[in-house]
Parts: sequence; C-alpha cells; structure tokens
Amino acid sequence: MNNTLSLTSDPFTITYPTAVQTSLNSGASFAKFDYSGRFVAAGRPDGIAIIWDLDTRAPVRWLDGHVKAITSVDWSRNSRYVLTSSKDWNISVWDLASETDPTRREAIIRFDAPIVSASFHPKNCKIILVLLGTGEAYLVDRRKEYRGRFELCEVQGDSDDESQMNRTSSGVTVARFDPTGRYIFLGMSSGYVLVFNTRTKAMIARHKIAGAGIIKGLEFAKAGRRLVTNSSDRILRQFNLPVYTTPTTDAECLEQELEPTYRFNDPISKTAWLAMSYSPDGEYLAGGAADNAAHKIYIWDIANEGQFAAALDGGREPLLHVHWHPNKPAIVSTTNQGNVLIWHCPREERWGAFAGGFEEVDENVEYEEREDEFDISQEDESELALRKMKAEEEEVDILGLAEDPVLPAEALQRINEDDPDIAWALEEPDDDLSGWRFKVMIEDDTDGM
Amino acid sequence: MEDTNGLDVFISSDAHLQVQNAGQAEVDSNVKTNGSPVISPASPEPCKPSPQRETAYKLRLIMSGHSRSISSLKFSPDGSMLASSAADKLIKIWDIEGGAILHTLDGHTEGISDIAWSPDGEFIASASDDKTIRLWSLETISTVKVLKGHTNFVFCVNFNQKSNLLVSGGFDETVRVWDVGRGMTLKTLPAHSDPVTAVVFNHDGTLIASCAMDGLIRIWDAESGQCLKTLADDDNPICSHIKFTPNSQFILASTQDSTIRLWNTQTSRCVKTYTGHTNRTYCLSADFAPGAKHICSGSEDMKVYIWNLQTREVIQVLEGHRDVVIAVAVHPRKPMIASASMEKDLTIRVWIDDSL
Repeated sequence: MNNTLSLTSDPFTITYPTAVQTSLNSGASFAKFDYSGRFVAAGRPDGIAIIWDLDTRAPVRWLDGHVKAITSVDWSRNSRYVLTSSKDWNISVWDLASETDPTRREAIIRFDAPIVSASFHPKNCKIILVLLGTGEAYLVDRRKEYRGRFELCEVQGDSDDESQMNRTSSGVTVARFDPTGRYIFLGMSSGYVLVFNTRTKAMIARHKIAGAGIIKGLEFAKAGRRLVTNSSDRILRQFNLPVYTTPTTDAECLEQELEPTYRFNDPISKTAWLAMSYSPDGEYLAGGAADNAAHKIYIWDIANEGQFAAALDGGREPLLHVHWHPNKPAIVSTTNQGNVLIWHCPREERWGAFAGGFEEVDENVEYEEREDEFDISQEDESELALRKMKAEEEEVDILGLAEDPVLPAEALQRINEDDPDIAWALEEPDDDLSGWRFKVMIEDDTDGM
Repeated sequence: MEDTNGLDVFISSDAHLQVQNAGQAEVDSNVKTNGSPVISPASPEPCKPSPQRETAYKLRLIMSGHSRSISSLKFSPDGSMLASSAADKLIKIWDIEGGAILHTLDGHTEGISDIAWSPDGEFIASASDDKTIRLWSLETISTVKVLKGHTNFVFCVNFNQKSNLLVSGGFDETVRVWDVGRGMTLKTLPAHSDPVTAVVFNHDGTLIASCAMDGLIRIWDAESGQCLKTLADDDNPICSHIKFTPNSQFILASTQDSTIRLWNTQTSRCVKTYTGHTNRTYCLSADFAPGAKHICSGSEDMKVYIWNLQTREVIQVLEGHRDVVIAVAVHPRKPMIASASMEKDLTIRVWIDDSL
C-alpha cells in the first residue's frame, strides 16, 4: 500500500468493494490473489493455470502441465512460487522467477489419488499440506533433514464404541494451515474440526461443530485467531479460536466444542455457500452464494456485530469462487463461464485536484476571511521571503519511508520468533525472497492478443 | 483537441529545440542578463558562506559520437553502461570504464528526446519526434516493440519499478500508460494543456507524476488514472523536468525561471529552492547526486551545478562543456556524474569524485 499521499489510500478507511472493475476471460473455475495483490492465479478445468498481471490486466504466464482439472492454487509469501494441485494425481510447484517460457516446473509431487487441494506452509514453501480425494491429508516435507510424507491421522479418544465407529468412517474434507503455519486445521465429514501441530504432526485438538454436518470450507482472518467454517447445513460460522498449548510428549488432545460467535446464512432462499474470504483487516467477511441464476457475494460487517452489509450483484453468470485482495477493498470472484471478475471500490473523480492550491468541499462553506488576508504591504513581502527561507532550512528526509501504520491484525501475528514451531519451519528456508525478479515477456506481435 | 498551431512552424527535428522556440516569447521578456546566472527575485541567496568542499568531482572521460544535439543520458541499472539519445535519431550505449561505444541503436525516423532503462535492465525505451516510442531489448540489441499512439512528438518516457508499465508524455499534451509486454496503450490521461515535458512513476508504481509547459505538476493514481492533486507555483514558470525522491515523499522540479524546487507531495508545499544555475530556455534535467545528499543539474551557462540538498548552497560547479549542458545522469551507486551538451559541443563528460 502506498501512503505517500494521504488521499490515495488510507488503510483505516478500507471498506468493501462495490462494483466490478474488470472481467478477465480466463476459462477458470477459481482465481486467487497473491499476497502482494500484483497477480491473480486462475485455475482451469483443462489443467492450465493462468497468471494475470493486475497492473496490465494481461495474462503473463501459462502454467501448462496438468492433464486434468486444476483443483487448487496457492502462492508463496513473496509470490515467487505457485502451487497447483490437480485431479491428475499431481501437485506442481512453479517457479515464476524462471526466465524461460514456458515457466519452469520446480517440482512434481505425485500421489495415488486425485488431489483436492494443496497449500504452502506460510513460512516455508518446502512444506506442503495435501488433501486427497480419498479423504486423507498429508504433510509433505521437501527439506533434506525432514524429508517425507506424513499422514495426519485422527487420534481416537476413549469415548464409547459407537461414536468411534462413526469417526473411523469420516474423511478429511478440508485441510488448511493457520496463518502462522504452526497448526494444521482439518475439516471432517463428521462435522469435526481437528487441529494438528505442524512440527510434531500430533493432533492437539478436536472441535465439535454442533449441527454443521459435513465441513466444506475453512478460512482464517489474517491474525489467525478467528476461523470461519462452511458446512453442509448452509451456515457459515465464525469462531474465536482457543490458545493451543505446545503438546506434551504424551500427546494430550483438547476436546472442545466450539461455540460460534456469529452464524451467517441466507434466511430466505437458504442458499449454500461456495467460498468465503475475510477482508485484510478481518472486519468484513465475503461469502459467495451457490445461486444457480445469479452471481451474488454477501458481505457481513464483523466489526459491527456481524451485520449484513451488502449483497454484490455480479450479473447472471453463477459464482464459483471468491477471494479478498490482501490489502485493498477489492475482491476477485469467478463465474461458472470462466470469467474472473475484479471488484473494486470506485472513487469519484475529484475535479478540484486539477487546480493547484484548491480544495474541494462537499457542501457550501461560509468563508471566513482572516483579519490581514488581503492586506498588502512591503514589509510583509520581505518578511514572507524571510520566513520562507527559514522554513527551507528545515532538514528533509528523501530516503526514509514513512512507516506503515501497523494494523492490529499484523501486530498480533508477530509472534515470538523463539517459538520452536516457527524455528522448525524456518530451518532450511526456501528461496522465496522479496526482490526476486519477474521477467517481462514481450509478446509476439503475430499472436494477435 | 489541442492547439498545436504554434508548433507547426518549427523546422527542427529535435523536440528540445522546439521547446526553446515555443517558450521564446515568454522567455525574451525575462532574460536580460544573457549568459550569466540569473537569480530569480523570489528565491533567496544562500545565507551562509560555503564550508569546505563537500564534493570533489573531477573530469574522468570525454566521449563523443553523436552528430547532433544530445537530449538525454541514463546510466544502466547495474551502473556498467551509459545510454545517450540525440537529435541524430540514434541511441548510443557507452562502456563507462573505457568510454567505448558498445552499441548504436538505429530505428527512429526523427530525433529522440528521452530514453529510459527498465529497472530490470532488460530494455531501453526511447521517445521520439516520429511520434513513436521504441522498446529495445538489451539482449538482442534490437527493437522489440514500436509503441504507436501519440499524435505528436513524444518528449518523455519512464518505466515503473516492476518494468511492466511505461509512461510517456508528449506534445499532444497527453500522458500515456503502456503495457510493456504487449506494447499497447492501457490509459490515456488528458493530463495538461501544453506539451508534457516529464512523466515518472513513484517508487512503488502507485503514483504517476507529470509536468508540462503549462507550469503544472500533476500527481495521478496509477491504477485508476485519476488526478489526485496539482502542484503549482504562483507564477507558473514552464516546468521542464521532475523526479521523485527515492522515498517518493518529494518531487524535484526544474523550471525555466532558473530554479529547482523540492515539493512535498503530501502538503503540496515547496520545501527547498535551489538557484545559481541558468535555465530559461531548455528542458534541463536535474537529479539527486550519488549518496542522495546533493542535487545536480545542467545549466545553460555550459556548467554542471551541484547543490547541498539540505543547505541549498552550490557546492561545486563543473566546467568544461562548450554549450548548454542539457542532460545529467547520476550513477546508481558510485560517485559518478555524466553530463551531455548540445550542438556546439556534442560531448558526454563523465565526472568522478575519488574522495567519496
């Protein structure tokens, strides 16, 4: 975000988008912003992922390697690596810093079943969380020291046999890292949410979500303390997560039923939800409705007791996916016709900006003239020049950037670096460093794009 | 749409020379002390005597090769090469160690007014009186795109930090934003009511600043193309060059009242004025000297001036050119300044400060 001009973008005035700015014809079934907001990755049913540059609104890379539908994409922290998972049983890691066209595939990870989703560890993209169509979740560690695939298994409690029977038949339906990467959250077909410690792979908590049915989706607010679930009962539930303690060697597991702070649903038509996404400051939640005749995104104001704030109407092409921009009041949503819509918050043109030294006011203001405003005297002029000269002696800083105001969410995220889980994740760090170069490819004139 | 009557009569193929002509009427009434530094009455004299020399730039190299007036000089982002453009329709790329011409880029059909390196070092963009911008690949040393759209001379050009966007301004009074990869116009901003003399992105590419012969500096939101504010001085002297400070909090603006001003973009106030050089006629460029503690600019009295950024005092004057010093360029890391002169001189001089 830029804050060189107070009027461009104030992080505290972030609200939600209201209108479609652009439609990118992608043939995609979902699309996600990277963490900087520079790119959008769109996954297609034909196995191709397209990287769009939002500055130019042009497709800048075609990641062509899968032979069946792309099921998920994930971005590394600094956008260098893109992770794609596919129904063709493969996961690919693409290196956008490669100067070749087509883009170099850094790794292919193969499983024995279609892949439902794959995501990078938020602190190290050599650690990948994978969910298979068979309902099993794996942690793939590509570091030398810890190399391996680890299945994340539900630990059965000592409860009665009947419920145990039910649980063994339940599969994983959603697998996500929390924003710190210390925990893995698994949504189960049994309506439970399981929490694992990423480092030890031990299950540390089991949360029952009463009445939810099958868990269909999990999303975190940036700070990681709030979770929203989507489930087969067509209700989005928001929870405040408890503080998880580092597990003891004896793998004790926290059994806790979570009580939602808010429930969001459509009371009239009872539509299901296909996706949800928090605004960067966590103050709004966007839900994409599974309406088969309209493209509708519902926005709830979390800061204001979860009140319904707006329903965005994106036309007649039904919605498949929705994702909020990492730092702006912007949303990307995907239609079932493969179009990727970029939503923004249009600003009215301020014509007063064209005139120097003028300020535009919304309403008429009675102007109060200063006592000496139109007095002219020789003395004043020399005094003015002197004052100006004095003012010019003040030092200016042309190098230092004004510090970005720290959002509370980000402050919360700054957890102790001594944390053994974080330290573990940072061992053998990846090479996804900020400042990597994305090569501008010159399109051939003959392509006719 | 624009009034170009005054421009049709010019014969010269170099837009810089046309700036001279276009500004003539206004300029003649002002210039009385031809050839010597003019200090504008509005700007104060440096108040303290100069302390010991802060910089000691010495001539290192003289390079010549252009056959007509040089218009722009830019160091490559890695600092190994210097590119120059001229009214002779050519771009030359120089090795700054030995001063040899590494490449000559030939393609424009009219004189070139400005050039810019892409920050990734892959491309050079050139703005020409043939109304086009050419995008040159440093890998193949050839034109990879010809950007067409301006309806009159293109006068200035610059990349954003990511090298995926290009901005240009020209005598059609518009600012254009281009997609580098596809070579097409993304936006046309009806920016000014006179030829646009300079246009730049800020450090993160979210803002565009432009200035023109109408004397205005405008700041635009790069994404929406909306005007955010206009910086204007009371007398509206022709604004010939602008540059963002590294942190984008200020804009360094050269105007044809022989003054360089540093504007605070947030408060819209001029916080520093630099005088001592002569600039009444041409679009001279100014820049932050290596180390960001000094400012340097060419001058119409054939010298290069270096000021202390904070005290506004002239701390060094580099002499040797035999015509107007129209362009200066500053090395990205080393204490090195390159300067270029017009028709009667045609040399590029490289100055180095060994003491820094």
